Amino acid sequence: MVSGVSMAVNLGGIKMRNPLNTASGTFGNGVQFEGFYDVGATLGAITCKGVAAEPWVGNPAPRLAELGNSAIMNSVGLMNPGVRGFVERYGTYLAGLRERGCQVICQIAGHSLDEYRAATELFEELAPFASGFEVNISCPNIAAGGAAMGATPAAAAEVMGAVRPLTSRPVIVKMAPHDVAEIGRALEAAGADALSLINTIPGMTIDVRTRRSRLARPTAGVSGPAIHAIAVRMVWECAQAVRIPICGIGGVASGVDAAEMILAGATAVSVGTANLYDPTCVPRILAELEQWAQEQGVSDINELIGAFEC
Amino acid sequence: MSAERHDMAGAAVGSHDFVVISNEQVARDTYRLELSSHVSWGLMPGQFMNFEVPGDGSHILRIPLSFASCDLRSSHVVIYYVTVGEGTRRLSAMRHGDTSTVVGPCGKGWRLPEKEAGRCLLVSGGIGSAPIAAAAGMLAQAGISYDVIAGFQTAARIPQRLLDEMEPLLADDGRILISTDDGTQGFAGFTTQLMEQLLGEQSYDCVLTCGPEVMMRGVAALCAREGIACQVSMERMMGCGFGACSCCNVPLVAGGYALCCQDGPVFDATEVAW
Repeated sequence: MVSGVSMAVNLGGIKMRNPLNTASGTFGNGVQFEGFYDVGATLGAITCKGVAAEPWVGNPAPRLAELGNSAIMNSVGLMNPGVRGFVERYGTYLAGLRERGCQVICQIAGHSLDEYRAATELFEELAPFASGFEVNISCPNIAAGGAAMGATPAAAAEVMGAVRPLTSRPVIVKMAPHDVAEIGRALEAAGADALSLINTIPGMTIDVRTRRSRLARPTAGVSGPAIHAIAVRMVWECAQAVRIPICGIGGVASGVDAAEMILAGATAVSVGTANLYDPTCVPRILAELEQWAQEQGVSDINELIGAFEC
Repeated sequence: MSAERHDMAGAAVGSHDFVVISNEQVARDTYRLELSSHVSWGLMPGQFMNFEVPGDGSHILRIPLSFASCDLRSSHVVIYYVTVGEGTRRLSAMRHGDTSTVVGPCGKGWRLPEKEAGRCLLVSGGIGSAPIAAAAGMLAQAGISYDVIAGFQTAARIPQRLLDEMEPLLADDGRILISTDDGTQGFAGFTTQLMEQLLGEQSYDCVLTCGPEVMMRGVAALCAREGIACQVSMERMMGCGFGACSCCNVPLVAGGYALCCQDGPVFDATEVAW
């Protein structure tokens, strides 16, 4: 806190030293970034890659395309080693992050209500290092579950209702980029402690010579700086509809981008795709965000949450 | 299972500044980039680096490139690449004195065969000749004899300078054999056909290959038939280059996927589900 501005925020019970978080799936499980900066001393929280009760192999190759308009598309399909494998490989490292003051958010994936329940129960039992959970009801890249589970307010609330009784730790729900006000309200009513949005925007990219998708599946998720303005708008719409805090996600690559999210109503901000092409970006974004808060003349970053003026 | 391939690798990967010493076209669509850095990156043969290429921000991903040779003490690195898209086209416009960053060293490189293993055969297709040159340097340093088959589409695409740089590394009885698909230089036909011919004359204990996947599949099949150990260097579109995004999956015989950037790019040919 060089600036004298208090940067600490509370994301639905997850007390973060600063608003910066990482978007699930773009940050490995943190350890991959230790060669770039001190992860545990820098971030407010990390959100780990989505994990299901049992291992998932993910989608076939190719999973990635560069779109050439400041965006990429991916279709990983939540490749994960299952909760047991995840805890075995990363548990010690993640417990260390907690000790160093970085909150650890474990993401829960599932194809069905039963699978969400099973993963939550396993996490409850095996992951004491988790500060809280993020339930992914918005992955556009899996055949069953994922985005389908969060497509309507009723379906989204049903997932939240299944997970809620199984843990007393904070539960965030990762939302798809549509109907965010309506679905946000349903999730709040179903007991969500916070919301995170947006997940990637479903898109298509076609190789016109072969007439085939440039990825293994016809549709995939668009991310990167190109989607930032859309994400800010959705955070704003959702923030006006709910009282629970929001983690803003979508094309954040600078302190200005993060500041826009906060003004639109986000309590925390996740950095996603930028981690892939600029793995050193988080410390820079944090410094820029802090400088902006100072320039705004506030003593606490919380004063700027939702401070957008129409 | 894919999950079994996840490990904690990647912690040694860092971000480094570099300066371009030279960047010259050496064959059709083919360039030789020489660069240096203040610090040693600790690159091992067969590993790669993920290059940030200055541009207008429209293309955001880095360009993963392996290297042909590297002076470990000074991080003086020589890279050969072909221009295939916007990123490599922009890379080809970088000039002496230009600076940027690399992320690396990435992945797991060539494994040094046991010296007792005897003679090795290196098989490259197209620009796969660059990481194969790094393998040649590794074998030469270890005193392991080898021959090289370097295949190209056509004579105009042969980076003669790279072959010249490999020549002094060869043992007295070592050979570099060229093939072209269209017969404009050397053996007329595919590297796998030349390899099959060579296997009739000489026995090999180990094959290292890098090139188009269809070629490596053929090389791997020949090795399986002859009972020769085979390492393959795979290529994938990559998001990060260090295991963060899981986008560069390689299917495994054992089921599931490995990540090319973290578990590879060099794999045992028998692991890969071709």
